[in-house]
Amino acid sequence: MVGSPVLFVAIPLLAAFIIPLTGMMWKNSVRVIPGLVLAFMFFLSISLMGYVNEHGTIVEVLAGWKPPIGINLVFSPFTGFLTTLMTFLGFIVWLYSYKFKRNVDFEPSMKYFMLLMLLVTGSVGIVLTGDIFNMFVFIEIVSISGYGLTSFYTRRDSAEAAFKFLFMGAIASTFLLIAIMIIYSQLGTLNIADIAEKMPMMDHKLKVLSLVFFILAIGVEAEIFPLNGWAPDVYTEAPGPIGAAFAGIVVKAAIYASVRLVYTMYDFSGAFDLFIIIGLITFIMAETTALRQDRLKRMLAYSSIGQMGLVMIAFGIGTKEGVYAALFLMFNHAIIKSLLFFSGSYLVFNKKNKYIKHVNGMGKYLPITSVLFTIGAFAIIGLPPFAGFWSKLAILTAAADNKMVVLIAVILIISILEAVYYLRVVNRIYFYDKKEKTEPKKPSLNALVAMISLGVIVLVIGFYPDLISGILDRAAADLLDKGNYIKDVLTLNK
Amino acid sequence: MKKVIVLISLGILGFYLIDIFLGIGFGVQHFTAGVKDLYLSNSKDTLKVSNVVTAIVVNFRGFDTLGEVTVLFLASTALGGILYKKRHHVGERSVLFPASRVVMSGAKLLFPSIVLLGAYVFIHGHLSPGGGFQGGTIIATGFLLMLLTYRNYSVSHNRLVYFESLAGILFVSIGLVGYFSKGSFLENVLPVGNMNELFSGGVIGIIYIAVGFKVAAELTGIIYTVLHEKD
Repeated sequence: MVGSPVLFVAIPLLAAFIIPLTGMMWKNSVRVIPGLVLAFMFFLSISLMGYVNEHGTIVEVLAGWKPPIGINLVFSPFTGFLTTLMTFLGFIVWLYSYKFKRNVDFEPSMKYFMLLMLLVTGSVGIVLTGDIFNMFVFIEIVSISGYGLTSFYTRRDSAEAAFKFLFMGAIASTFLLIAIMIIYSQLGTLNIADIAEKMPMMDHKLKVLSLVFFILAIGVEAEIFPLNGWAPDVYTEAPGPIGAAFAGIVVKAAIYASVRLVYTMYDFSGAFDLFIIIGLITFIMAETTALRQDRLKRMLAYSSIGQMGLVMIAFGIGTKEGVYAALFLMFNHAIIKSLLFFSGSYLVFNKKNKYIKHVNGMGKYLPITSVLFTIGAFAIIGLPPFAGFWSKLAILTAAADNKMVVLIAVILIISILEAVYYLRVVNRIYFYDKKEKTEPKKPSLNALVAMISLGVIVLVIGFYPDLISGILDRAAADLLDKGNYIKDVLTLNK
Repeated sequence: MKKVIVLISLGILGFYLIDIFLGIGFGVQHFTAGVKDLYLSNSKDTLKVSNVVTAIVVNFRGFDTLGEVTVLFLASTALGGILYKKRHHVGERSVLFPASRVVMSGAKLLFPSIVLLGAYVFIHGHLSPGGGFQGGTIIATGFLLMLLTYRNYSVSHNRLVYFESLAGILFVSIGLVGYFSKGSFLENVLPVGNMNELFSGGVIGIIYIAVGFKVAAELTGIIYTVLHEKD
């Protein structure tokens, strides 16, 4: 083992405090250091994953106090999988935006890269922590970096989007605090494993109430209906790569938080049905709304919300196959949606309002970007040779195993809508003529490398899904094994 | 119709919340098994810190405090980024009103004592009520008073960045020293000393001083940025 989970938080924070100092001496350090830190986090998570596969879950105590007194971090196959995914995407987002704002002032670019790094750090923290109050702190870190990044362009619309997000986020934080307070007032502990063990002692009424507050609070970040009013605006107004960071990293962390609550902390099965219902409503609403959008980024945003609904449904099925499908969906969505955001940003680069019609005929001018967008579009619909196919197949099989016929029907019907609005864009790229005079912007080398590596992953996973199914299997088994989680954390010999 | 639904659901949530508050029973022993006794005994016996709140905030849950410090850091960073283009030069402010002679001389007199009080509060964070966040805020109010009173009073932006960064680096470094020498991030590496003395509680005092400096620099920076915003 080369490191331990706490470095995922300590190193980025140290770097965040150092960057303002080094930035005074060497201006480029504000771009380079976050990239190095993100790369370090990615390699650390890979090496820890290797360790976990051989020796089992790592539970790290902080400040030398064993849980439940102190805070602990848990790096299990499940959390490790998400950490690896998030840090990888964080690095790719950094790579894509390396040249971002190169010509403008030094200070905005420093803020951009610092906020991006802390956004990833906060999301990783949410996933790794084993303490609900600590999770609250990390959710705060993520939200505040999110507000800052949304309002980055300091335009009227981005200010509005950021303010909307800020408002929802502030209310969500309050609700989260109330939920934590209810739990602490009843059980006298904040450790997730300890709470999970003591949960049967809690009054049923209070249990339901605290879960309601939790879901309301985390639902804002997880973009579930009807708490996702902020999401489309934020995706539209934030810089292009940040849309990918939200879809691939922040939302994943929020979904993780809600899943951890329902699978580990609470002990009633009704919550699973709640997941299916919420997920279905989110899925249907978002996909039908996406069909009506005329701006590319808004369409991608609604599609992203819809995919999250699908993930919720898969988690709501509650069996091992369901969790497997959900994790596969999360993985695919993170990779594919980032690819779509990246390539989509170039297709409508420098256009006012970024309408879908601006992509007309781009196939001739930006051939590689267009092909990558098309791969992403086909993959997210779930066409066979791409990665998205296997995850959609997995969720349908999981539903079929549980005889949820209506669910299968709904997913398939809504998938047709998805196909309609994505293929419409692809059609415009290749079979329409370009009317606008403005010259399309060629992607820079680093952006091209980022996009192509994502595209390659989509293809490779599409042809060899077995590459990842082992990891997903272990992660799913780990999430479902609640007793083991409690045992790992509470019987620590240190 | 929408409003009625909202009111009803809020009413239900509110009813249960009040129900819980009444059920908590303040001042009554009601945790059969929780962490509170462990906190009390450990901060008294192991850490020798007389302010239990500080012991919890800085040591038992020091990781949360590091997160909270980062939240404040992020807030000031994000604000600086948003208001960046609108910043005026020194002396040109949007909030401008003449201060009377009494306020001017009073502010000069009060400023050192405000800073002293703030420093006292965070240095004695482990002995008496207060701590880094409170002390830092007190110091920032001193700067606010000066900025409001004197039109030409200015705070060096670079100096604020130095304080902010160095204090943050100190905090994380103490954590890393604990990690590399004792194997656990933020673990106490210094002797704990005797209870109720200034040098007690190991690293708690140092961390709170770092937090105090950091909070003071950040809040002053926020006040400065907002005061110098163009309309």
